[in-house]
Amino acid sequence: MESFYQNVYKMVLAVSALSICCMLPHTGQADPGFSFGNAASGNQACLDCHSDMQTVGDKNLISAAVFSHTTHAMFGCKTCHDTVSSDHPKDGTVARTTTCTNCHGDIAAEYATNKHSHAVPNCNACHNPHKVLKPNEISALAMTATCMNCHNHNTIKATHAQWLPQTDLHLGSITCVTCHTTAKNFIVSVYIAHRDVKADGTSPVIADYHYLSTKLNSRDVQYLVDRNRDNSISIEELKMFNGDPENKDLYLKAILTPTKTSHAFQTSDKSWNCTFCHANGPSEAQITRLVLPQQDGTFAGFDVEKGTSLSSLNAIPNFYMMGSSRNKLVNNIGVLFLTGGLIMPVGHGFIRFMTRRNRRKE
Amino acid sequence: MESKFVYLQPTPVRIWHWLNALGIVTLCASGAQIRFPEFVTICGSYRSAILLHNTAGIVVALSFSIWFFYYKWVSGALTSIYVPKLDELSHPLLRQVFYYFYGYFKGASSPFHATPDSKFNPMQKSAYLAIMFVIVPFVSLSGIALLNIGPIRQIILMVGGLQILVIVHFLLACMLGAFLATHVYLATLGSTPLAYFKPMWTGWEKVGHHHSSEKILGTSD
Repeated sequence: MESFYQNVYKMVLAVSALSICCMLPHTGQADPGFSFGNAASGNQACLDCHSDMQTVGDKNLISAAVFSHTTHAMFGCKTCHDTVSSDHPKDGTVARTTTCTNCHGDIAAEYATNKHSHAVPNCNACHNPHKVLKPNEISALAMTATCMNCHNHNTIKATHAQWLPQTDLHLGSITCVTCHTTAKNFIVSVYIAHRDVKADGTSPVIADYHYLSTKLNSRDVQYLVDRNRDNSISIEELKMFNGDPENKDLYLKAILTPTKTSHAFQTSDKSWNCTFCHANGPSEAQITRLVLPQQDGTFAGFDVEKGTSLSSLNAIPNFYMMGSSRNKLVNNIGVLFLTGGLIMPVGHGFIRFMTRRNRRKE
Repeated sequence: MESKFVYLQPTPVRIWHWLNALGIVTLCASGAQIRFPEFVTICGSYRSAILLHNTAGIVVALSFSIWFFYYKWVSGALTSIYVPKLDELSHPLLRQVFYYFYGYFKGASSPFHATPDSKFNPMQKSAYLAIMFVIVPFVSLSGIALLNIGPIRQIILMVGGLQILVIVHFLLACMLGAFLATHVYLATLGSTPLAYFKPMWTGWEKVGHHHSSEKILGTSD
């Protein structure tokens, strides 16, 4: 009974913390990620041992830094590991009776509707509960890496190559869940990537925090792009980043990601329809976020001026989504050229018609 | 009256020409759909447009390479046929321009008459110089680069990124499209609207008496 009241108390604390977080003014800046740390949940006693490799071994090791970033941390270790006794670990029991579905029943129900749930029924196979982060706190490559734990890249590539033109390019510019779930709300997530990686186009290497911070003498990597420090990225700031000789080893890598993920794994009709992306483009794709690595290993997104990815000429020079990201000025110049080509047939043709009698044979 | 014919366009040239024509028209149509899929659906699905564009692009690029290789290293006539001489760029060029924009309307005959060794008038030479030595090579190269974005990403980044490459490709393609319209129209300016089309199909061009030289290989009533 005491344990029950403790859990209720922790829940109240957590909800209060969330409420305070939601009440903070939203200035368009990045979600910095909310760390519940250990104070709210008293996890330290557990982490004293479980963050020490020598004590608990690799299998039971928990990174305190990463765990403190997860939503799970706020509930406290004993919420899930409610059978842990005062004799733990000497009593030899597995200190867990709670399952993911106790809290995530809706996700479990959604997941159960597809065949992934038969092959991989265990949530832990993809999501380590001590590391699980929100979609906007991980990189697009990390999203895809989860799938690659089971799916072979070469097989995936070969399968897609049967129908998808520019397979490598697509696989390197979209996450798996963008097409293979019912996820919605796609945005263009822009990462800072290394130029000097293997040039197969499928594996851009996103620069990590430590690499980027060396360029700024350990200042926040945000200021590498956000020069005026207003927590919002303008097209001008992106151009400055691209034009800065100091950044010659880097480039902006854009990847289409969903903001709201789904566990309904299926290839939806939109995925077979090229013009879903390549015509006007999903309206959400007009939204661009610059996603930067954080010191704690997570990622944070920053709002970028609207229209950057699809219409600006050189804000993200290496991003082009055919049919969608076409520049109006360039279109007009092209039309001007074509119109010029019609001057002869139309103008000359008209005078030719009017003077046809002069060319009649005698 | 006896009509004389000169064998102006050998079979390989005609095959090359019509293959190019088909390829470039296909590229223009599929390219328009790729860039403006909301307005152009001539090739069916977007994927079909892409595959058609890629295939036609490779065919035209190969065709261009064969053309260049043949005229540069086999026949050696690349410069004499396609590059206007300095003296052609003054009086003969003006005379040809004057003919097209004035003399033609007054019923004058063309100051230039094609022979197998000199197929193009100075205006044509100037146009082909730009088309075959600037526009086609660069539109082909940018197209090939766009087909291999992954492997040559470093090079693409060096030239300013994917967007610059696409702009170059698109604007050069528009220039080629503009040339196509002018090219087809100018081909109708012969003695009859089809007079210049027939030689490119049969190889034989009908000529007047002043062409009666050893280059004239056949006659017809």
